[in-house]
Amino acid sequence: MGGALARTGRLMRPGPLASLLWTGLRRNLAMTAAVIVTVTLSLAMLGAGLLLRAQVHTIDQYLLGQLEVVVDLTDDITPAQRSALEDEMRRDPAVVSVRYESKQHVFDRFRHDFRGSPDVLAGVGPDDLPAALRLTLADPRQSRDVVVGYTGLDGVEAVRDQRALLDPLYRFLDAFTIGAFTLAAVQALASFALIYTMIRISAHGRRRETAIMKLVGASNGTIRAPFMLESAVAGLVGGLLAGGALVAAKVFLVDGEFSRQTAFPLFGWPAVWQSAAAVVAAGVLAAAAMASIALRRHLRV
Amino acid sequence: MIVLNSVSKRYPNGARPALSNVTATVGAGEFVFLVGPSGSGKSTLLRLLLREERPSGGRVVVAGLDVARIPDRRVPRLRRAVGCVFQDFRLLPNRTVAANVAFALDVVGRPRHVVRSVVPEALNLVGLGDRAASYPDELSGGEQQRVAIARAFVGRPRVLLADEPTGNLDPATSLEIMGLLDTVHRAGTTVVMATHNAALVDAMRHRVLELREGILVRDEPEGRYDQTQPQLVPLTAPPSAVPVQATPPARERSPWAAPSRGPAA
Repeated sequence: MGGALARTGRLMRPGPLASLLWTGLRRNLAMTAAVIVTVTLSLAMLGAGLLLRAQVHTIDQYLLGQLEVVVDLTDDITPAQRSALEDEMRRDPAVVSVRYESKQHVFDRFRHDFRGSPDVLAGVGPDDLPAALRLTLADPRQSRDVVVGYTGLDGVEAVRDQRALLDPLYRFLDAFTIGAFTLAAVQALASFALIYTMIRISAHGRRRETAIMKLVGASNGTIRAPFMLESAVAGLVGGLLAGGALVAAKVFLVDGEFSRQTAFPLFGWPAVWQSAAAVVAAGVLAAAAMASIALRRHLRV
Repeated sequence: MIVLNSVSKRYPNGARPALSNVTATVGAGEFVFLVGPSGSGKSTLLRLLLREERPSGGRVVVAGLDVARIPDRRVPRLRRAVGCVFQDFRLLPNRTVAANVAFALDVVGRPRHVVRSVVPEALNLVGLGDRAASYPDELSGGEQQRVAIARAFVGRPRVLLADEPTGNLDPATSLEIMGLLDTVHRAGTTVVMATHNAALVDAMRHRVLELREGILVRDEPEGRYDQTQPQLVPLTAPPSAVPVQATPPARERSPWAAPSRGPAA
């Protein structure tokens, strides 16, 4: 008897807890199914957003090593001006490396790039193209400051950012990412509304049980556990379904369709597994957290 | 085991206090009848003991816990020390008799081997060892109340509160339930029973606390349901004027109070 008094807040054994959970899920089957559907949609959107970001990252990884900022030099630049310019660039923390290309060098590159178009090459001589400084940036996505900073300096004719050419692609991917996250958020709100209602119905259906649990001295955690688990199970199932949808999208859409239509590299399986894991974890945790908020309102302990 | 010290309870919209200035002490192992007309504050008193309500004033101590002052997280500990039986049984209809009793142990995390050995014991104690697999709606009212008593007792609480446990039962069945509560009492449990059943109170001759309009008007050892000597105290008297005792007849063993059923532990 003294022992019974000394113990506070002991949780139920897994067996009886599972039985409470199971009766709760069965009694609430339609509601639980509705929660699973919205949670699945929300998490699939979240996963799609994560994969789009992974795709942006994949393209970045592929291209950024090759992207440079090209500073065209005026023909009348003095060696002193040039070395002052180079010194300034080498001190700039945003710039990783500076490489000088003479007019001849630039012309050779031009000839190589357009070797298939003799008519283009025909009108251009070594003197027509400016000498240049080619900069590799620490983060090519932060090129704006560099471009603005070097434009108009003495001896600089123009600053060209190669990444600007990719801007439309990035804007496209970013827009879809934001769209996916927005849909995920809207669905998450709907999920919360459903979980809130599910908890209310469940608390009402179980009020005898909870009343007796309180009466015989079950801890608050024990009384809440079946509700939280009910919601977490719905979140888990939704997460697994959404994760499955991501895997299916990778197999059928990305590998099956896109890979044949584009030259860009596409995200690989690690990105899929990471997104799926994130989606499952988010499903379980968010559903449990939503249930806990709803319980504050619907279950006084 | 239970100490009430100038306990008052005022509900927000109540015209008069549900309890005013109630002082009483119930020792360990006592059996106390709580009597009084409907609305006299009996249920409020029981709710205070369980911390379903907090007193507006005064101190309530149950099983060594200062009920109003313990933090919320310690309330379960209080309730594990106090068993409860109600007029309406409060069994779970979708669970068998044994599962109803086991539920009380499961939800406080008792290990399975304890549940397995203690539940049949409790059912045997209340004489329902052979009905373990029945569902509550297959049982009579008296049998359902026996299950409720088994559930209240299975955790071996130090105090058992019974709120009109015979209110829904016929006289013969009420006697059986009374006998059962007596068995629990004789197992060493402190029992507080709120009741309107005059026959039971008169037959048992336990201590009687009487409430009227929230005031404790009588605290009589081995008392009867009605005051032994009428109008000893005017209704308006303060509680301190109350304890005038009648000499009760020598306590006789009620034939139903010492049933051969079950070990008295």
